[in-house]
Amino acid sequence: MIRVLFFGPVAERIGANSIQVEYRQGMLLQELRDELAAFHSRAFEIVSLVALNGEHVRDMALPLADNSEVVFMSKFSGG
Amino acid sequence: MLAQVRIQYEDFSQDEEINALKSASKRMGGIGTFLGCARDFSEGRDVSEISFDAYGSMALSEMNKLRSDAIEKFDLLDARIVHRIGTVKGGDNIVFIAAGAERRVAALEACRWMIDELKQRVPIWKKEITPQGDAWVVPHP
Repeated sequence: MIRVLFFGPVAERIGANSIQVEYRQGMLLQELRDELAAFHSRAFEIVSLVALNGEHVRDMALPLADNSEVVFMSKFSGG
Repeated sequence: MLAQVRIQYEDFSQDEEINALKSASKRMGGIGTFLGCARDFSEGRDVSEISFDAYGSMALSEMNKLRSDAIEKFDLLDARIVHRIGTVKGGDNIVFIAAGAERRVAALEACRWMIDELKQRVPIWKKEITPQGDAWVVPHP
């Protein structure tokens, strides 16, 4: 399974803090994003940052491993 | 001894943080600090409270990297970063950053650099709670 987390404004638009997505061999980060964005378009309008296993990632062509943790995030506003 | 980098619900003491920083080295000739506070007015509205959400594990990891990067980039003797989460009211402390160096220029520049980088790199979001409703804050440059 892929664990997908949401925080702040994205979580509010999704209506959940996390969801589980079934892992498929060869699954790419971009594919996961596209699948979720199709169901949660309002939330993904404000997604501009992505973390994979706790690290910022820019390469959406990265393959996912089973049990990965992915976070789709809006711009930060701490401080 | 409190950790040099923390995310916490409770308030912090600037004096305790500065004393802890100073205890790292007697070669420290300058300390730059930044204190971020909650405003009770924003975008033309009264703000009664500010609440924070954070991707805690990554936020702490990024803040630790930020501290290490600042120490290396500005040749600091030590640095500390504390960020509150939960809910705060107008006037309450939110974030404290302190940079200690042999000279003032490095301390001040490092402090400015750390708060600017924190806003870009650390996954924390704040929501303003107002009489007209709640709104997530859109980051300012």
